[in-house]
Amino acid sequence: MSTIKNPDALFRKVQKATHYCGGELNSVIKNPDEVQIRYAFAFPDTYEVGMSHLGMKILYHVLNQREDTYCERVFAPWLDMEEEMKKQDVPLFTNETLTPVKEFDFLGITLQYEMCYSNILNMLSLAKIPLLAKDRTEDDPFVNGGGPCAYNPEPLADFFDFFTMGEGEEVIGELMDAFKEWKKEGGTREDYLRKIARIEGIYVPSLYDVEYNEDGTIKSMTPNCPEAPKKVRKRIISDLDAVSYPDKFIVPFSDIVHDRSNIEVFRGCIRGCRFCQAGMIYRPVREKSADTLLKDACSLIESTGYEEMGLSSLSTSDYTQLEALTDKLLEVTEKEKVSLSLPSLRVDNFSLDLMERVQKVRKSGLTFAPEAGSQRMRDVINKNVSEEDLIKSATLAFEGGWNGVKLYFMIGLPYEECSDIAGIADLAHKVVDCFYESEKTNKRRGVNVTLSVASFVPKPHTPFQWARQDSMDELYEKQLFLKNEIRSRKVKYNYHQNDISVLEGVFARGDRKLSAVLLRAHELGCKLDGWNECFDLEKWKKAFSDCGIDMAFYTRERDYDEVLPWDFVDIGVSRDFMKNENEKAKQAATTPNCREKCSGCGAASLCKTKKGCVCFEQ
Amino acid sequence: MNSNYYLRYERDERVKYVSHLDFVRVFGRAIRRAHIPVAYSEGFNPHPLLGFALPLSVGYTSECEIIEIALSEEIAPDELQERLNAVLPDGIKILSAHEGKSNMKKLDIAVYNVFPEKTPSGIAAFLSMKEILIDKKTKSGIKECDIRPDIKDIKVTLGKIEMTLSAGSRNNLKPEVVIAAMNKYMDGYESGECSYHRKQIYDIDMNVI
Ligand code: SF4
Repeated sequence: MSTIKNPDALFRKVQKATHYCGGELNSVIKNPDEVQIRYAFAFPDTYEVGMSHLGMKILYHVLNQREDTYCERVFAPWLDMEEEMKKQDVPLFTNETLTPVKEFDFLGITLQYEMCYSNILNMLSLAKIPLLAKDRTEDDPFVNGGGPCAYNPEPLADFFDFFTMGEGEEVIGELMDAFKEWKKEGGTREDYLRKIARIEGIYVPSLYDVEYNEDGTIKSMTPNCPEAPKKVRKRIISDLDAVSYPDKFIVPFSDIVHDRSNIEVFRGCIRGCRFCQAGMIYRPVREKSADTLLKDACSLIESTGYEEMGLSSLSTSDYTQLEALTDKLLEVTEKEKVSLSLPSLRVDNFSLDLMERVQKVRKSGLTFAPEAGSQRMRDVINKNVSEEDLIKSATLAFEGGWNGVKLYFMIGLPYEECSDIAGIADLAHKVVDCFYESEKTNKRRGVNVTLSVASFVPKPHTPFQWARQDSMDELYEKQLFLKNEIRSRKVKYNYHQNDISVLEGVFARGDRKLSAVLLRAHELGCKLDGWNECFDLEKWKKAFSDCGIDMAFYTRERDYDEVLPWDFVDIGVSRDFMKNENEKAKQAATTPNCREKCSGCGAASLCKTKKGCVCFEQ
Repeated sequence: MNSNYYLRYERDERVKYVSHLDFVRVFGRAIRRAHIPVAYSEGFNPHPLLGFALPLSVGYTSECEIIEIALSEEIAPDELQERLNAVLPDGIKILSAHEGKSNMKKLDIAVYNVFPEKTPSGIAAFLSMKEILIDKKTKSGIKECDIRPDIKDIKVTLGKIEMTLSAGSRNNLKPEVVIAAMNKYMDGYESGECSYHRKQIYDIDMNVI
């Protein structure tokens, strides 16, 4: 193993050298000669995005707890760095020891959103690792993918040696143990892959054959060796109190997107919104106890010196011990002058009080996510918020001194009608009205209502996985329609770029045939698509047409009988449940949340212990 | 009443790409980790009362940095030094701690060691130039200016150029600018990539700050 030569020649030339050179507080230093396994953990986006990500911190911690393993970080280089690396012929290297990624045993890539796929190819190519798994040799690392997009890994199937489904804390250790065994046995790359195919949660794409029907849909997907299971079941951590959580976070030198420590309150979400992938794939809800969280918080405050601490979960208000936790936490944070950041909190009396106490907020920006404009549409998506709730919360906030709110909506939802879109404008107007109708608001400052309207993207493993996705033109028309419905000057309307959402949808529900498109897009220079200055739709369109692939094939509505590319992944939630939820959506019928009444989705069977799990609360 | 202290510290290779602004934050967080009772400014967004002498350019190392710090309680300077060193990232080290205020407001001169790829010869001729004009980027475009008055001395030994230059808020000359001038005016000289190290800072009478 060797480190890159003359790193200063690179670092001098780039704007943010601290994004590549390591040495941050709490980054792990080991002697590479004293470990048996070297693992490069890649976040396929820039440092400031990747370093804000909690999952990476957790696995970095878990892997580095092992004495036999050294886990290092690597990110997508920014344009200036990439240019220098190419000019000076330096391959992609890790931050900790500046070692070329190609020399590692594993390259683990976290898959957080579809629009980072082009970065993966770019990083492999900068690392001088063959893009296609089948071309890799004993000189290359095993390329492993995990994270939410791994739940439909098929568009990436050609580029990865294997994928990990679900939460990684336990399975990653099993993979490392299997690696050591395999080394001792002295087998081939394929031997290792077959060996780990037996581990629950591991998917090795090369061990499956896919056949297609004439219309391009999937006929069958079958294992081609005895080790590969028909269905790959996701892994979860049953008892979050028992699993090790980082007591230290790396503290970057430079500012990053979320520059704070975080404690993870629970995983999963009780709500069951029908569009939400996170709400399905992370089932069931498992909570950490307030005591464990307090302990986590204290260690992090002590080891990082961060001024801010975040509570991380999909919906913090649903935490059963929220009051006990915040009471205890506030004692510590007030003493240590740490502010608490509470995203995903429902606005009510309790939370407004809390925000008042914990955050040095300027009372301008509160957010609400009704997601849909009409009650009918909110029932369709199973978003359990009524107009009355929203107006009550907004009034509370306005009377408490806030004068601006941001409302999140989606358009392009399944079974949507014009009146549902008009409902978005109506609701915004009603929020403005409630500000002026209340006697206790500060009229002098006026009110701002900002609409943030995203385009719906149907995701695998949700009740809407069969739905048709609107085309770019249809979405554009709907945006214009909404714009014309807004009559108040107090309402500001921001809409999201819809070309990205169509691409996102294509890859989200894509199959193996899309690997060719990704390759072509990479050749055409697509990268950093999450960055406006880099994203180029024309290149993507060209990549699709060069490969003879029609995006519309992937955005179309699917039948219940069709074999979906991700059907082989078992997230613990049954297909019947999904189907039933989609049928109920058509009737605008709602489903109670997990705490009100269990709907028997199947996820309960994933839990090995009952403690902390919502399915066993009653 | 707050108590004033100042610390002399070094920044080595490992943290040379940390910008001054980022460095301020690094220091603020170290103070929190060490539980130093730092005094905070008043106002909506209180921040710790820290004062830095001359900002260090990105890419430079130094052994003569100064930071002033106000504490709400008294601490023995040795203890302050130890507690901070225990929590600072590798590459930043407090060399000494002192009570009271430093003389950093009087800062006038800095000495740098520059390590070029090639040692220059004929520095005397360079120093005997009456004017050393270089292009300087200003807000209104590129302006020619004379850096000669701000070069107090340059000594060359094998592999090393020691520069004594004006520093501080009035006139501040960076050694990289001098290197650029040497490349421009010294016949046949090409420095190659250089590394820069700040060795010492002085007041106008060459008293160490
Ligand atoms: S089994 Fe019941 S309680 Fe558990 S996640 Fe599914 S619906 Fe919710």
